Amino acid sequence: MTRVIPGQPATTTRPSKPSEDVRAVDLELAQRCRHGDAAAFEELYRAHAGRLYNLVFRMVGSAQEAEDLLQDVFLNAYRKLGSFRGDSSLGTWLYRLAVNQCLDVLRGRQSKMARVTDSLDDEGADEPAASSPVVPTAVSRLDLDRAIARLPQGCRAAFILHDVEGFEHNEVAKLLGVSEGTSKSQVHKARMKLRGMLSGTAQ
Amino acid sequence: MSCQDYEIAIGDYVDGTLDERSRTELEAHLASCGQCQALVADFTAIRQVTLALEPALPPAHVWTKLSAAFEAEQRSPIHGWGFTWKQSLAASFVTITLIASLAWIGKGLAPINGSSGRLASATPTATEPVSVKAEFDLAEAQYTTAIAGLESIANNEQSALDMETADVLKANLTVIDGAITESRAALQTEPDNPTAQDSLFDALRSKLELLQDVVSLINEMRKGNPEGAARIVSGLNQ
Repeated sequence: MTRVIPGQPATTTRPSKPSEDVRAVDLELAQRCRHGDAAAFEELYRAHAGRLYNLVFRMVGSAQEAEDLLQDVFLNAYRKLGSFRGDSSLGTWLYRLAVNQCLDVLRGRQSKMARVTDSLDDEGADEPAASSPVVPTAVSRLDLDRAIARLPQGCRAAFILHDVEGFEHNEVAKLLGVSEGTSKSQVHKARMKLRGMLSGTAQ
Repeated sequence: MSCQDYEIAIGDYVDGTLDERSRTELEAHLASCGQCQALVADFTAIRQVTLALEPALPPAHVWTKLSAAFEAEQRSPIHGWGFTWKQSLAASFVTITLIASLAWIGKGLAPINGSSGRLASATPTATEPVSVKAEFDLAEAQYTTAIAGLESIANNEQSALDMETADVLKANLTVIDGAITESRAALQTEPDNPTAQDSLFDALRSKLELLQDVVSLINEMRKGNPEGAARIVSGLNQ
C-alpha cells in the first residue's frame, strides 16, 4: 500500500512520453486496428481496458453505465485511430479520449438534471471548522467509494484524476481544460465534502 | 493570514508538493492552529484510503459485446451515427473498400493474409497478378470514391454547420486539395517517385479524416450535444 506522509510526495503511476520502441509498437498496433485486424483490436482492449474501466467506473459511479461507456470509448478510438500520431503513448491517447467521454456524460447529466444536481451539490456540505480530526483513521474503502459517488460532478472529475488516478494538478488541468488553480480548488472542495460525508463513519 | 488563506497550501502539503519555504510557513501556522491540524489529519486519512482503493475491473462480457460491435462497425462504419440507412449503406461500401485498400498500401503493396479478421475484399487474389502501378491506381481510385461518398454526405447536411465552422472546413479542405493537386502533378512527371506517392496518400488520408470529422460533427449537432461538437471543432481548428 502506498503511504502518504504530509510533506512527502505519494508514489503514483502516470503516463509518460513514449520511448521510440514503445512509439513504434503503438503505431503498428494502431495501424493494424485501423485496417480491421480483430486480433489487434482485442490486443488494444486487453492492454488498456482495465485502467480505462477503473477511471470510467469512478467517474460515472455505476457499473452498467461504465460498461456501456467503456465500449463507446473503444469504438470511438477505433474510428479516431487515424488521428493517432504517436506523440503520446497509445495508453495516454486512449486515456484522454476516455476522460473526454466521461466529461460529456457528466455534463449531459448536469444539464439534464440541473435541479437535482444542485441539491446534490448541497449534500455533504462542508463541515464546520473542527479542532480535532473528524474522519476515522480506519475509513473503509466501501464508505469512501460511496462517498466519491456522491461527490458533486464538478469536483468529482478533478478529485478522481488527482487523488485516485495520481495525476499532478498541471496534468489534471490539461485533461479537464481548466487552470491549475481551479484543479487545486476543486480537489480541495471534494476533500472537504468527503470529510463531511466520512465524519463519524466507522469500519 | 487566516486559516482560509492556507487551504490550497494544506492540499499541497498533504500531497507532498509544497515548496520548502511555504512548508515552513504552514508548519509554523499548524503549530498554533488546531483546526488546520485537524484538516491535515483528515485530508491525510482520506488520501491514504483513496490510494488503497481496489481497482475496478471490467466484466468479461464487456469484451464479448464490444467485439460484436467492432465487427458490426466494420460492416457498417457509420451505422450508429444517426444517418439514414441509405447514407449508411453508401458509406459502408466506400469505407470497406477503403479499409481494404489502406491495408494493401500500408503493407508496401504486399498481399494481406485474410486471417485475424482482416478485411481482404477488393484486393486481388493470387491468381490475378496485378502490377504495382495498377494497384496504386486502384487504391487511389478507392480513396477518391470514399472521399466522394463522405463529401456527398457532408454537402447534403452542411446546413447543420454554422458559418464560422463551415469557413474553417473550407479553408482546411482548400489546403488539402492544394496538396493533392501538387502531388498528382509531381506524379505525372515521375509516376514512380515514392515521395510523391506518399505525399498523395498522406493528403488523401488527411482529407478523408477531415471529412469523417465533419460527418461526426454534423451528427453531434443533430443529437444536440454542443460539448461533443465543440471538441470536434477544436480538433478541426488545430
